[in-house]
Amino acid sequence: MSRPESEAAREWRHAGASTASMYGNFFFWLFREPFPTRQLGAQIVRVMLEGFGILAVAGIVEGAMFAWLGGWYGTKFSVVNWAGAASLYLLLSAATTLFGAMMFAAKIGTAFTVEIGSMQMSGQLDALRLMAVEPTQYIVIPRVLASILCLPILKAISDACAIIAAIVLSKLWFDISVPIFLQHALLVLKHTILTTSYIRCALHAFFISINACGLGFHFQGGAIELGRTTTKSIVINLICVLVIDTVYGVMDSVFGWSTV
Amino acid sequence: MICARGVHFAFPGRTVLEALSIDIEESITTVIVGRSGIGKSVLLKCITGLLRPQSGSITIDGDEVVGASRQQILAIRRRIGMLFQEGALFDSMTVFENVAFPLSYHKLASGKEIERRVLAYLDLVGLREYARAMPQELSGGMKRKIAVARAMILEPRYLLYDEPTAGLDPASAAVVESMIRRLQRERAITSLVVTHDIDLTRYIADRIALMEEGRISAHAGREDAFAEPSAIYEHFIENRERIRAENGSQG
Repeated sequence: MSRPESEAAREWRHAGASTASMYGNFFFWLFREPFPTRQLGAQIVRVMLEGFGILAVAGIVEGAMFAWLGGWYGTKFSVVNWAGAASLYLLLSAATTLFGAMMFAAKIGTAFTVEIGSMQMSGQLDALRLMAVEPTQYIVIPRVLASILCLPILKAISDACAIIAAIVLSKLWFDISVPIFLQHALLVLKHTILTTSYIRCALHAFFISINACGLGFHFQGGAIELGRTTTKSIVINLICVLVIDTVYGVMDSVFGWSTV
Repeated sequence: MICARGVHFAFPGRTVLEALSIDIEESITTVIVGRSGIGKSVLLKCITGLLRPQSGSITIDGDEVVGASRQQILAIRRRIGMLFQEGALFDSMTVFENVAFPLSYHKLASGKEIERRVLAYLDLVGLREYARAMPQELSGGMKRKIAVARAMILEPRYLLYDEPTAGLDPASAAVVESMIRRLQRERAITSLVVTHDIDLTRYIADRIALMEEGRISAHAGREDAFAEPSAIYEHFIENRERIRAENGSQG
């Protein structure tokens, strides 16, 4: 005899089905007229404005943290001049991409879930359907495309903030001059590190925004359920970001994209 | 004319509509009454193709809704306007943009024509001065009037109202009631209203249907429905007595 499905299991199954169906819906509607150009523009502005602050602050904190760790271990092993190179390598190849995606999932992903979930709750999505407007086309596609375009730009801003923070901290704390910092850093940085990190960024943005929109789109219930769905959105997206980076790490070790 | 025959709809583990049949006559207001949660809103969603019944037939002007293709559904929906329970106005748009949305999205009119029509419909519901306001700045009654203006901008043949006075104070409810009645008289739109509001039903209905246990158990003209004895009259009296008894026991 089969055991009855628990409430939590049912909710997670629904969440899985919601996100999975959104991938199909996205590609089905992406190439159909009319393309939501105005909504895309509005979402680009919105994602840039909402993401700028958190990604910039995250970049500064990461830059300072990695520079301090690099300097501390560099001093300990008498290779302090390489602290800049080590910190920049870690920052640009992994940290700003990973933490940036996590911040993006927390700030923008949850905003998408709550916004679309409350539209679903108040009947706005049904109202769109009744006006012969497909909500996937009007609501989801602009958000996903805006995320794919904006997260790499936000990562570039985050990278710049991280580099400046690392240079300033290395100078003030470990007395590493800016030319020495940059000279050693340039020795280890390969263009493939930057290329692959920006491609990963776009991938993160795609998965985060589709998952978040899918969960909001298929939301059922009231305020408590919307809270739970938002929690699911961040949990699923954080797992997704880690899985993407793990797969990238394995491929990187095989193909040697980031090898110094 | 809207005809439903043997409509069966169930959510997983719960049957909502069971062999439901009803005819909605042209150019009058039909009110479907019944207890909350009995499936009145589900019936409206089935009529508009937002939910697909497991079996049965729903036709609008002879066009089948159940099992229709996406294109057919879109064509049918052009004939229908619907007022959702809380208006379902788009939060990110002004009142003007909300009402203009169906026209501007589908590029059905030029900018000037859209402005003229939107202002005309805002005049009709008496809220022209709120054209630049955001939905958050409006009361519940105003939101519903704006939603009616938006539903009517494409000049539908059918207007469906889902609990139009639910959650409104008596004054706002009276304003919405008189607007529904005025629209009906002036434009002769076929209106279908689902509600459990006795006063609203008494004020606007031409025909009244009672929904019980997933089906229409009684269907009568206004005079017959409120004549004693009738199933619909009994339903209203029973509801009122039950509410009074509950209030009395709490008191």
